[in-house]
This record gives sequence, structure tokens and C-alpha cells, in this order.
Amino acid sequence: MARILDLTSAAGAYGTRLLAELGHDVLRVEARDGDAIRRMEPLLGAAADLERGAFHQFLNAGKRSLALDFASDQARRLLGALAAKSDAIVASLPLPLEEGALLAANPDLVLVRLDDGPPELCALARSGLLAITGEPEGKPTMLGGHVPYAAIGIYVALAAAAALFEKSASGAGRIVDVSAVQCLAALAEQIWVEYSVSGEALERMGSRGGITALAGALPCADGHWMISVPPEPRGWANFVELVPDPAFKDDASLADEALRRERKHEILDRIALWSAQQKKRDIVEEAQRLHIPAATVANPLELVDDPQLLARGFLRPVDHPDFSRINFPTGALASLWGQGLSFAPHLGQDSAAILGELGYETAEIDRLAQDGIVKR
Amino acid sequence: MTDSRSLPLAGIRVLDFGHIVAGPFCVRMLADLGADVVKVETSTRQGRTGARRNRPRNAGASGRTPHLAQINRNRRSIDLNLKTERGRDIALQLIGVADVLVENFSSGVMERLGLGYESLAPLNPRLVYTSMSAFGHTGPRSGWTGMNVTLQACSGLMLATGEAGDPPIGISNSWNDYVGGLHAAVAIVGALDRRRVSGKGCHLDVSQFECSVATIGSLLLASAVSGQPPARLGSRSTETAPQGCYRCAGEDQWCAISVATDAQWRALVSVLGARAASLGTLGLASAAERLRHHDEIDAAITSWTSTLNPAEVERRLGALGVPAAAMRRGHDLTEVEEWRQILRPLEGPGSNGAKVIGLPFMFRGSAPVVATEAPRIGATGREALREWLQLDDGAIVELLPEVPA
Repeated sequence: MARILDLTSAAGAYGTRLLAELGHDVLRVEARDGDAIRRMEPLLGAAADLERGAFHQFLNAGKRSLALDFASDQARRLLGALAAKSDAIVASLPLPLEEGALLAANPDLVLVRLDDGPPELCALARSGLLAITGEPEGKPTMLGGHVPYAAIGIYVALAAAAALFEKSASGAGRIVDVSAVQCLAALAEQIWVEYSVSGEALERMGSRGGITALAGALPCADGHWMISVPPEPRGWANFVELVPDPAFKDDASLADEALRRERKHEILDRIALWSAQQKKRDIVEEAQRLHIPAATVANPLELVDDPQLLARGFLRPVDHPDFSRINFPTGALASLWGQGLSFAPHLGQDSAAILGELGYETAEIDRLAQDGIVKR
Repeated sequence: MTDSRSLPLAGIRVLDFGHIVAGPFCVRMLADLGADVVKVETSTRQGRTGARRNRPRNAGASGRTPHLAQINRNRRSIDLNLKTERGRDIALQLIGVADVLVENFSSGVMERLGLGYESLAPLNPRLVYTSMSAFGHTGPRSGWTGMNVTLQACSGLMLATGEAGDPPIGISNSWNDYVGGLHAAVAIVGALDRRRVSGKGCHLDVSQFECSVATIGSLLLASAVSGQPPARLGSRSTETAPQGCYRCAGEDQWCAISVATDAQWRALVSVLGARAASLGTLGLASAAERLRHHDEIDAAITSWTSTLNPAEVERRLGALGVPAAAMRRGHDLTEVEEWRQILRPLEGPGSNGAKVIGLPFMFRGSAPVVATEAPRIGATGREALREWLQLDDGAIVELLPEVPA
């Protein structure tokens, strides 16, 4: 598989993680004092601890770490040597070495350049996605958990994987320019389609969003559940069996999705009266028995021992060196190949090994470490 | 410099058994990267049509809603009823020469059609067979059905978004379909890369649920370690302040502001002028102090933004280097430079000058994505047989005696 230098910021780091999940050898090249991802909260250790940030531990899993002093000439030479022996560089702008220098070191390089754009929230606002996230009467809101970064990362991974595939066939490298704001804009496509066809804007729908006429997160005794009634006549027939309300059963007009759409909130309010007395798992299991797409509204804590995620190897019980025994999220692609990922590397953990692979002698590596050029 | 290089997936044949959004969108990514796509669909049960389907104006030149016409661009369409022997036989011939197959049916559907991976692998061992069901074809919930909003709900996304005390907050588009489709596209390209070495295809059993959970993987890890659900932060940041969506003059008008540095903060305070008086010494505060006093700061900022339209807030702050962006919602998207760059003209006789969204990246040396309108169901089926199976006209007409105009 390919050797990839990862110089992305938080906006691209999920992309290089996906490349590691595909089986590539991803080298996270970071500053001697650790990069911003290591400092992203929530931190699961002390504030000064660069090893226990949740984002670092998740996003850098499966990667190796090389830490160096970017400002030094020796580090720049080292980067050139690394570029010469790598298949790809995936980097947020500005590049640590000029594009020309990188290509001189390796004319067949795959170089994915990510323009991070403005801060995450501003990028979301520019893309249009902010306008469709939040309660209709309330404020628009950021997608939580830095999900916009993850979304950008998937496009980064797709661009890099495609260029690597091309290189493995032809031997030729490729430069790919990725724009973070454009990635988010691409995901706002429906806003554009709606506007260009009807002149109307998609609006925020909060908990009652959905493309089907009847969809919404509704309260139940222990949280919320989500329903989406399929548009086909059978979808409504099954639904009436789930929610035993005569007002639904006796009203034949509701079999028509268009009429359901007109009375959406009235119907959802009635369903909520019923579901408020029920437990979410009971409702959802019964709904699924009737082939109704219903789901519990889960918070991330409820997912950490999810039987489906465990059964498929997305979650793996591990003895984690920094956290003891936990169910570790390996990833949606890693689980396809049934492989785990190595734990996120400690800062500079692989510096000496990587320099060794480049042909540096032990004495040289010692000197670079003593001079503060690399951290190991 | 010429733009003469072919795109990375040129020559890769993809057979699209997808329906609704997730599968066809995944295939569109491959098509936009240069793959040669044939969509297998049936006029006897047309794909569900997505957003706002009840409006009469929806059917476009391709007979699809505008949304599905977008998703299904850049491919040929062959009309096959897979429940008939004839339809299945033609499908098997196409599968025999395909590199990739994509389907997003519920578990068991392809098997019942005799088109499961186990039955197709002997016919074409190099096939990268991609399933994209809601939960995956294994595990205790493999038989469950899911749709975009239910997957947004159970993946944790809706309770990771919004503020403490808010109801679950979703995103009002087909978010989960896109996230699943993109992950699957990455997996397919990875599998094609592996095939070059191994010579063998594989079955990619993608779970759309897992794709969405993975986008908040850090929060899962945090919850597993701490035993606590993550805080719902709304639009705030844990590291910098102030950050938020601020109400502006007009109905439902907002501007995002994200201050990263002390210098940006001082510039913002200078813009607030007399309204900053309520902040007192906070005008010189560090990020940590600003985080602690976020509510007071938000009130002072809103007292200023609420007197201006969002574009003016963006302009005035931008001039001082303070990151700010008006919330764009439709009519004003093309005022954004990145939006103008990503739009491409739609090619084809029914396109009427429409512009559509291309890829958010550029492969240097190749021309940008060409977006060709989706065909009517089955309209280009004969072309597909000619090019993939090298059949002559007589044989093609025998296999497909009727095609729509």
C-alpha cells in the first residue's frame, strides 16, 4: 500500500484517517510541540496532556507520528527526503515546502492540497448548510462534534484515493486542489436544486425534518424516538397498526401522503401524546417488526456498547494503553476489511523508525534529536 | 497547460442498482471521477422521488424530480424488470463485464432476485460488489429499515447538535445519504486499488449507520472513556470565543462570527463602539475569560448585529480581519466565491441552461467535471448493450425491443 504524509489540519484529518482505514501507511507529520488536533476538547486527561484528547485519539488512530521543528533547514531537507520516498502528501495550506520543491524531490507525487477556508462555523454559513440546521423558530446552529470537518475529510479521502488509484496504474502523480467550503457547498446541493427550480429556500426543520411527509423526533418516556412514515400506501397501513389512535384509523384521507403533509404537525402532535407514555426501545422494536423505519434518538454515550456496532466490528473491545479497557470505534471502512487500527501515536513515537526507513544512520538520528530538529 | 489527462476512474465500469439517494449519489461520485456508468432500473417501480415530490412541476425532461435528476446524472439507463428471466439474464451479462456494482436495497432483496454477492462472484470474481443498506447485512439489526432522518437520529448526530435542553436537531436535507454515499465511494476506490494487487474483487457491506456514527467517532470515544454524554455546545467552540450565530436586522437573518485570536477580539470590540461599554474589562480579556463570559459578550455583539443586515456585518468585520459570514440560504449562494467556482453547466438538450454542482476538488491536468443530464428511464439502454457487450444492432433490438423516446 501507499506511504502518505499527512499534514492536514483538523478539517482534513478524518480524510487521512480513512486512508489509514483503507490500509495505507499514513505518517502524521507534526510540529515538535504537537499540533492543534492534540489540543482539541474534550480532553480525557490533564490539560497539558497531548496524548489524551478525544479528537487526537480518534482522528490519528492508524497513523504513525513524526514530530519535527518545521522552521529549521534540516527539517526542510528531511521533508524533501520524505517526499522523495512517499507516494502522496495530503496537506492543508500553506504547504511546509513549496510545491515546486516537493515535485522536484518526487515528480510522481500525489499532492492533495486542502484549502481549509474560513473557520468551521463561517464555512458552514457560506455553504448554505447552516441555514438548514436548527429549530425553525430558533437560531441556526453548528453541526456538533466537528461533523463539518469530517464531511470535508471524506471528500479529501476520495480525492486522494482516486489519485492513488490512478498512480498505481500509470505511475504518474497528480495534484488535486480541494476547497473545504466547496465540500460543504456540495453537500448543500438540495438547497441549490430547490432554489433553482422553485425559487424557494429549504428551511430549518429542527427535530421534525425529513423528506417524507411524516417524519419527526417525538418525545417518549425515556427520551426521543424518530419516525419516518414511508410514502407508499403500505407505509401508512403499517403505521396505523403501530399507533393505535382511532383518529388515524378512521380517517381514510390520511392514506394519501400529500394530505398527510398538509396536516403534518397536527398528526405528529397526536403521535407524541401516545409515545410520551412508551419507552423508546419498545416503540422502535415494534415499529421495525412492522417494517416502519423508526429509530431511537441516541446520544453518543448510548452508542458506546451498541450491539450492532459491536457485532460488525465497528466497535472493538481493546485494552487501550491510555484509557484501559474500552470499546474503540475503528471506523466505517476499517470494519469492512475486518481490521483494527493501531492506537493514535504518542507525539514523535515513530520519528526514529521513520528516519531509519529513509536511510538515516542511528548516529544521525541521535544528532537530529539532540539538536531539537526531531522529537522521538 | 492542456486539460487533456483523463480522469482517475476512466475505463472503470460501474453498474448502478441504486435507488433513492444514497446508492445513486455514491455512483455519481464515481461517474464524476470518470467512471463509465450504467443504471439498471425499472419503469414498473420507479425510484422514490425525494424532496417535495408531491408538487406537479417536479417531473423534468428525464421524468425524474429535479433532485433525482441531479443525483442520477452522468450515466446511461437501461430498463430491466429483474423479476423476469429476460431482465435478469441481461443484467447478468452486464454484471459479467462490470468492475463495480452498487446497490442500496434492504438486506435480502438482491439475494431474492438471484443477484446476491455469493451468486455473482463465480460469474465475475473481479467484481467489487457494494451494498449500502441502513445497518449492514450482518448483526442483530441487519433486518431493520432506515431512512435519512432515522439514521441521523440513531447515529448520535441529532443529540450532538444544538444546545443543552434543545430537542434533537437534524439537518433538513438528505445528509445521511450523502455521508453514506461518500464513504462507500472511498471504499470502492480503495477496493479497486487492492484488486490491482490481488486480482480479486470483494463484497463491501457498507452500513450507512456506521458511516454517520464515524463522523462523530471522537465523541463516542470521549463518552466511552468519561461515561458521560458529550456537552451540546450549540455553535460555540471549546477553544475560542466568541463564536456564534448572531441575529441581524430583518426576518430570520443571521451572521456567523468566529473570533480566534486576541487581535481579532480587540478589532471586534472596536467595531462595537459604545455598545462595548457593557463589557467593561472584557474588552481586553483572554480567550479563557471570554469563554467564561460568553453570554454577556453575545448580548453586546447582538445589540450591534441586530441593527445591520448580515452582509453588512460580514463586510465590516471582514475589513478588520475578523472571521464572519452571513448565513446564505438559496438566492444569495452565488454571491459566495466558492459557490460560483463549484457550479457547472448541465449538458444535454433538456438542461435549459441549468447550473449544477460539480466536484469540490480539481484534478490538475484534466478538464473539470462535465455534468450530463440524467436520461429518461431506459432511454440509453441499447447504447449500454452496444458498448459494454459489443453486440450488433440486431441482437440489441432482440434483447431490448422497446425503448422510450
